[in-house]
Amino acid sequence: MYLQLQNLLPLYFEESKKQTSEIWGKDLQFAKGEMIKIVAPSGSGKTSLTHFIYGTRADYSGAISYNNSNIKQFSFENFANWRKDHISIVFQDLRLFPEQTVFENIDIKRQLNPFHRSEKIKEMAERLGIGKKLSSKAKTCSYGEQQRVAIIRALVQPFDFLILDEPFSHLDTVNRQIAMELMMEEANARAATIILADLQRVDFFAYTKILYL
Amino acid sequence: MVSFKPIKPLLQTGTKASSRWLSYIGLGAGVLLLLVSVQMFINLDHLLNKVNTRKDGFDFISISKKINDENQTIKSIFTKNEIDELQSKPFVDGVAPLIANEFRVHISAQGIFGTDLFLETLENEFIDTVPGSFQWTQGQLIVPLIISSDFLEAYNVFAPGNNLPQMSAETVTRLPITIECSGQGKQISFQGRIVAFSDRINSVLVPKSFLDWANQNLGEVAEHGATRLFIKTRDANNPDFLSYLDQKHYLVNKDKTRLGRTKQTLQAVFSGLGVFGLLVVVMALMLFSFYLQLLIARSRDSLQLLLLLGYSPKWLSQNVSRQFIPVYIFIVLAALVLTQLLQWAFHHTVMYDRPELSSAINWVVVVIATGLIILSIITNYRLVRKLLYKLY
Repeated sequence: MYLQLQNLLPLYFEESKKQTSEIWGKDLQFAKGEMIKIVAPSGSGKTSLTHFIYGTRADYSGAISYNNSNIKQFSFENFANWRKDHISIVFQDLRLFPEQTVFENIDIKRQLNPFHRSEKIKEMAERLGIGKKLSSKAKTCSYGEQQRVAIIRALVQPFDFLILDEPFSHLDTVNRQIAMELMMEEANARAATIILADLQRVDFFAYTKILYL
Repeated sequence: MVSFKPIKPLLQTGTKASSRWLSYIGLGAGVLLLLVSVQMFINLDHLLNKVNTRKDGFDFISISKKINDENQTIKSIFTKNEIDELQSKPFVDGVAPLIANEFRVHISAQGIFGTDLFLETLENEFIDTVPGSFQWTQGQLIVPLIISSDFLEAYNVFAPGNNLPQMSAETVTRLPITIECSGQGKQISFQGRIVAFSDRINSVLVPKSFLDWANQNLGEVAEHGATRLFIKTRDANNPDFLSYLDQKHYLVNKDKTRLGRTKQTLQAVFSGLGVFGLLVVVMALMLFSFYLQLLIARSRDSLQLLLLLGYSPKWLSQNVSRQFIPVYIFIVLAALVLTQLLQWAFHHTVMYDRPELSSAINWVVVVIATGLIILSIITNYRLVRKLLYKLY
């Protein structure tokens, strides 16, 4: 299981970006089990990169391959299966169903391919301090709470790669640490790779590789 | 197994219930109109085909040329080309000319009555009653005759008023008849014997061999030909057949084709109704598709997020469109049940339980109803899938 980035560059970036970046325009390969930290200041294309990898945007040159298959060749059904079984994501803008409860938001993802039983949702929620919010509508939760909902949602399915786009932007230090621990545990349970993209270093992420975007 | 239950609340119907009900009612009315039209079409077919049940499965009708002021000087004889043309039509199974005598014939019966009469001959195949004795060979004195049963009936009506004895069919067949044929300066007498009565042919028929011989030896007309043709057809009510006869200005035995003309008109009416019903169904389905498009447009964000989370577009399309299957099935079944009720009422009250019809709807109607359900499910699914793929 590995993810390859080959000479990647957003179409709207100048070629000169390739000179300064450790990702744009480079050939990279992430194997399963690696912990990748991507340090990306604003405007460096961090969110674009996570969307390219997850397959929601394709306005780039170069290629992204998963086990030697170029994801640009994926059919809609291929993408659906890939997202269900192999790759999980925490979006920067969270993307929750505002009218559904916290539990429903998480379980709607879990039922696709359950890695955990539904009791595990309560357990994780309690660990992240949102146990009492499970039956509240997502739109009534604070941004920090919603961020934790999105994190748990990303952890209830099987995955080889977990993509995190500024997952802690609205969490305090204590909660950051708890959330990071939970994600590491879950990744280890699957022998999976975490690709964490953030504005600055996240101290309690035991990365094996750091790249500057 | 992925459940659709948590997905369902994400689909925002949002539209006014009234517009949804309007499309349901529209679809129901269209389907009902279509099914009833088809059923009535079939009823008519059964009703009018059974009325003309024929022993051997054929209709025999005689045609002649219309005689009017314009063509009365022209002989209304059928030419060989005209006969051949008729013969070549797919709705004609056989044509036979009625050949008439071309000499003078006088018939008398033991002084009871005497009259000048005509004789005709027709291929045996076209005569409904041909006994074995209906034969003549040259030199034979006795000529067998087949007369229309109407003639006997007419005779029995006027006989008492003219001091003549009424006669049964048996008596008539025993009656010795004298046939005097004259022409070309000769006069020959034969003995006639009525051997059968015909319900079909309004004439006095003699064996073909006799008339051929007599016309040759006594005939005084240079031009031969038939003024009447007998046509053998599977369906005298066939609209193609009727319009062909009209177009040729041939005069038909109206009794046999009157039903056919009624059937033509009624079937046209029900065809029109059926087409109208189909149009309503199409409009209702279109209204439904607008409703679906609106539903998907309103739930766009939720559906997009579901696809983002890894829901299969195929699975989503199937399940979103499946939501409407019960409604479709209910509407079509309701229309089918109503059609059944109408058919029962029609058969029971209007048709007084006539055996040609059934109180149950025809299987074709059920097939059409099933077809409509399948059609609406397929079009629905394809539409939803197309719209969902656009969200990707």
